[in-house]
Amino acid sequence: MIGFFKSLAVTLQSMLRKPVTVQYPGEHLPMSPRYLGFPGLLWDDAVDEPACTGCLVCARYCPTDCITVSMKDNPLHKEGKSKRRKIVDDFQIRMERCILCGICVEVCNFEAIAMTDYHEEADISRGDLIATKEDLFRMGRDYQKRAGIVVGAGSGSEGEE
Amino acid sequence: MTWADVGWLVLSVGLFLGFISFVVLFLTYAERKFIGRIQQRLGPMRTGPFGLLQPVADAIKLLSKEDLVPGRADRFLFWIAPLIVFVPAIVIWVSIPFTRDIVIENLELGIFFVLAVMGLSIAGILMAGWSSFNKYAMLGAVRAAAQLISYELPLLVAVLGVVMIAGSLDLQVIVAEQNTVWYIVLQPVAFLLFFTAGLAEVGRTPFDIPMAESELIGGPFVEYSGMHWSMFFMAEYANTFAIAVLTTLLFLGGWRGPAPATGWGQDVMMAFWFLTKASAVILVIFWIRATIPRLRIDQLMSLAWKVLLPLAFANLVMTAFYLFYGWPDWSIVLLSLGLLMATVYGYYVRRRSRLPRPVTVKLRVRQGRIVG
Amino acid sequence: MVAEADLQTVDMLLNMGPQHPSTHGVFRIVLTIDGERIVDAEPHIGYLHRGTEKLCERENYRQIITLFDRLDYVANFNNELVFVMAAEKLMGLEVPERAQFIRVILAELNRISSHMLFYGAFGTDIGVLATPFMYGFRERERIQQLFEAVTGARMMHSYFRVGGVADDLPDGFTAHTRALLDELKRGVQECDRLLTYNEIFLERTVNVGAITGEEAIDFGVSGPVLRASGVPMDVRVAEPYLVYDRFDYEIPLGKNGDCWDRFWVRIEEMRQSIAIVEQALAMMPEGPFQAPVAKFGFVRPPRGDTYARAENPRGDFGVYLVSQGENTPYRVKIRGPSFCNLMALKRMTVGHYIADAVVILGSLDIVLGEVDR
Repeated sequence: MIGFFKSLAVTLQSMLRKPVTVQYPGEHLPMSPRYLGFPGLLWDDAVDEPACTGCLVCARYCPTDCITVSMKDNPLHKEGKSKRRKIVDDFQIRMERCILCGICVEVCNFEAIAMTDYHEEADISRGDLIATKEDLFRMGRDYQKRAGIVVGAGSGSEGEE
Repeated sequence: MTWADVGWLVLSVGLFLGFISFVVLFLTYAERKFIGRIQQRLGPMRTGPFGLLQPVADAIKLLSKEDLVPGRADRFLFWIAPLIVFVPAIVIWVSIPFTRDIVIENLELGIFFVLAVMGLSIAGILMAGWSSFNKYAMLGAVRAAAQLISYELPLLVAVLGVVMIAGSLDLQVIVAEQNTVWYIVLQPVAFLLFFTAGLAEVGRTPFDIPMAESELIGGPFVEYSGMHWSMFFMAEYANTFAIAVLTTLLFLGGWRGPAPATGWGQDVMMAFWFLTKASAVILVIFWIRATIPRLRIDQLMSLAWKVLLPLAFANLVMTAFYLFYGWPDWSIVLLSLGLLMATVYGYYVRRRSRLPRPVTVKLRVRQGRIVG
Repeated sequence: MVAEADLQTVDMLLNMGPQHPSTHGVFRIVLTIDGERIVDAEPHIGYLHRGTEKLCERENYRQIITLFDRLDYVANFNNELVFVMAAEKLMGLEVPERAQFIRVILAELNRISSHMLFYGAFGTDIGVLATPFMYGFRERERIQQLFEAVTGARMMHSYFRVGGVADDLPDGFTAHTRALLDELKRGVQECDRLLTYNEIFLERTVNVGAITGEEAIDFGVSGPVLRASGVPMDVRVAEPYLVYDRFDYEIPLGKNGDCWDRFWVRIEEMRQSIAIVEQALAMMPEGPFQAPVAKFGFVRPPRGDTYARAENPRGDFGVYLVSQGENTPYRVKIRGPSFCNLMALKRMTVGHYIADAVVILGSLDIVLGEVDR
C-alpha cells in the first residue's frame, strides 16, 4: 500500500507545480539560432539580384530530390553590373518532401541558400506546398534581414547553417 | 393526484434532468482540467475563458457527428443498447435526496432502489458488445458483465453494514442518523469497500478494464459514434457522480455542515455542504484515475471474490455483533482498523509467497572495466 | 452438470494492429486467444518498410546520415553514431577528442530521451491515464530543446559527420546542460516514484513475460531486455568505443527477466546516463571538432568491409558496411536491436493474458522505423 500512496503523493505534488504548457499559437518557445526551418534563397543586395546561379549542386545532393532548378544567362552580367555569368531562372522546392537536413546549404558554393526559421508553412493542398522562387526569396530575404546575413562579393560572411 | 401535483412532478423532473445534464457536462470539463493540472498541463483553454465552453463544444461535435452503424451489426440491439445504459443512470436520481427537502420522491427503500436500478445498465453494455459485431466489443462486454456482477456483491454487503446501524433503507433516515458521528468512522471497512466496488461498478480506473483503452480500444463502445456514444459517456459520468453522492450520503454525513442548518437559507447551506463533499469524493476519483495503473481481469476477479467479498461479510458480522451486544462505538472502530491492517498484512504475505521479489544488481564500471 | 472437458470451446483469432493504440506504430500481432488467455501470437512486420538498406546503396555518405536519423526515430544520435563510426573505421580515421566527447554527451542524452518515451508509452500501456506519458514528454521536451540549440533540429538532427560533428557546440552549452541535468535528475526521480513500486504496477509486471538469460541470448536479444535477464552485456563495456573507457558508471542488471526488470533497468540507465554526461562535461577538452576529411563529408572510404556497433537505447545496434571505394557504399546491412528483441515476443506472450501482451510489447520498447527499416 505504501507504493500506492507514494504514487498519489507524486501526482499531488506535480499538481501544485506550475504547468509547463506553452500555448502555442499565442506564445512560442524560444528558437535556437541554429534552427533548421524551411530553406530560403538569399539575395545579393549589393547587385540587387539573386545570389543563386542555378548551378544545380543542391539539386544533385538533395537526398529526397525535392529541388528543381534551372538557370539562364544573366542580363546584368552583360551590362557589366554583375560578376555572375549565369543566374537562377526558376527554383522550386517541394516542401512536402524536404526533410530539412541542410545538405543544400552545406554544398552551396555561393552561400545562396540558407535554412530560415520559417516553420509554419502548412497548407491545405499539395500544390500549395511547392515553394516557388518567389516564396523562397520571400522567406530567404526576410530571414536574411533579421539574421543580418550579407551575401555577395568580398563580404566574407558566412550564412547560418 | 391533482393537476397541480402532476405539474409539480413534471417541473421537478425537468429541473433534475437539467441539473444532472449540467453536472455531467461540468464533470467532463472538471476531469480534463484536474487531470491536466496533475500532468502539469493546462487542460482545455481554447473554448471560452479557461476553456469553460469545452463541454458545449464537445456536445455540438457529438450531436453533429454521423451515427454510424457497422454493416453486420444487429441494428435494433445496437440502436437500443445506449438507451438501456442511459435510462437507469438517470432514473436513480428520482430517489436520491440532495438536502432534507430537495428530492423528487423519497422512497423508504431508497438505497435499495438506487443500487438495484444501477445494476440494470449491465444489460445494455452486453447488448452493445454483442450487437456491434466486433471482437474487441465482445471481449469488452464479457469483461464488463463479469466485473459488474462480481462487484455488485461487495457493494451491497458493504452497504448493509450502514443500513443495519441506521436501521433503515431510507436515505433521508440514514443521513439523519449520522447527526452524532459520520458512518465513515463507524464503518471504515464498509467505506473502503463501497468506494472500491463503486469505482469498479462505474468502470473508472483502476477498474476500467471493459473499456481498457490500451488493450480493447474502448471495449463495448468501440463501434459507436456520435449521439449514441455520447449517451454511454453521459451515463458513465452520471454514474460516477451517483457513486460520489452515495458515498457522501452513506458515509460522509450527507448535507450536514459544521453548523446546524436552521432557519433562513438552510436548504442552500445544506446543498452547499452536500455538493462540496460530493465534489471532494469526485476529485479523489479523478486523482486515482490519473495515478493508478489498470488491474488485469484475473486480478480484478480475485480481488472481488477473494478480498472484497470476505471483507464485506466480516464487516457485516462485526457490525451485527456490535449492534446485538450494544458494544461501545470505539470497539467497532478498533475492530475495523484491525481488520484492515490484517488485510494489508495478508497482501504482503501473499505477494512475498506468490511473486518473485524484484532482485536488482548494479555492476560498477570503472574506466570502462567491470569491477564488481 | 457438464464437465469442463465436455464443453466445446473454440479459439478466437484477435487481430491487434496495425491500427491499435498500443502497438507503438504500425505493427500487427495476430493473437489466438482462448477466452482471455493467449494460445499463439504471430507478429507481422513490414508496414513501415522504406527500403533504407537499398537507399543506402544509392546515396552518398553524407546523405545516408539523414537516412539513419529516420531508422530509430527516437534515438537519432545513436544511429548516426554507428554509421559514421563504421565509415571512420573503414577509412582508419582518427576522430578528434572533442568530437568524441560531444558524441558521447549527445548520445547519452538521447538515451535518456528515448527511455523517457519508453516510460511514457509503458505507463499508458499499463493503463494509467497518460500521466507517465506527460511526465516522460515533459523531460523529453527539455532534452529536445538542448538538441535544437546544438543541431537546429529537435529530432532529425543529421549532426554527426564522418570524422567528427557538423559544428562546434554553441555558446553556453555547458551551463545549459548542467541545468538540464539537474532538472532531469528530479524528473527521473519523480517518474521512478510514480510507478516503480506501486503495488498494482508490481502486480501487472512482475513475472509477466519472463525470459531467462540463456533464452534471451538464443533469441539474439540485446540491450536493456538482455540485461534485465541478468546477462552483463553492454557494448559500451564489452567493446568500448568513443571514450566510454574513461567514465565511471554502473550497469543495472535484473534477475527474473520480466517486465518489471526491464522497466527498472531502463529507469536506472537514465540515472547512469546522467552520471556519464556529467563526467563527460567535466572532462571535455578544447580542440577541433572535425577531422580533416573530404569536403562536406562526401568521403570515399577505401575498398573493404567493416562492422561497427554501439549500445543503442534499445540494444546492440550494428552496421555492416561494404565499400568499393566509391562515394556511395556498396552494401549497408543494419542490425537493428528492436528487430531482434521483437523475435522473443512470441516466447514471452504465449500463456499470458491479452492485457499482458500489450505490457510485454511495451516492455520490449520497439521502434517500428527500425524493425521494418
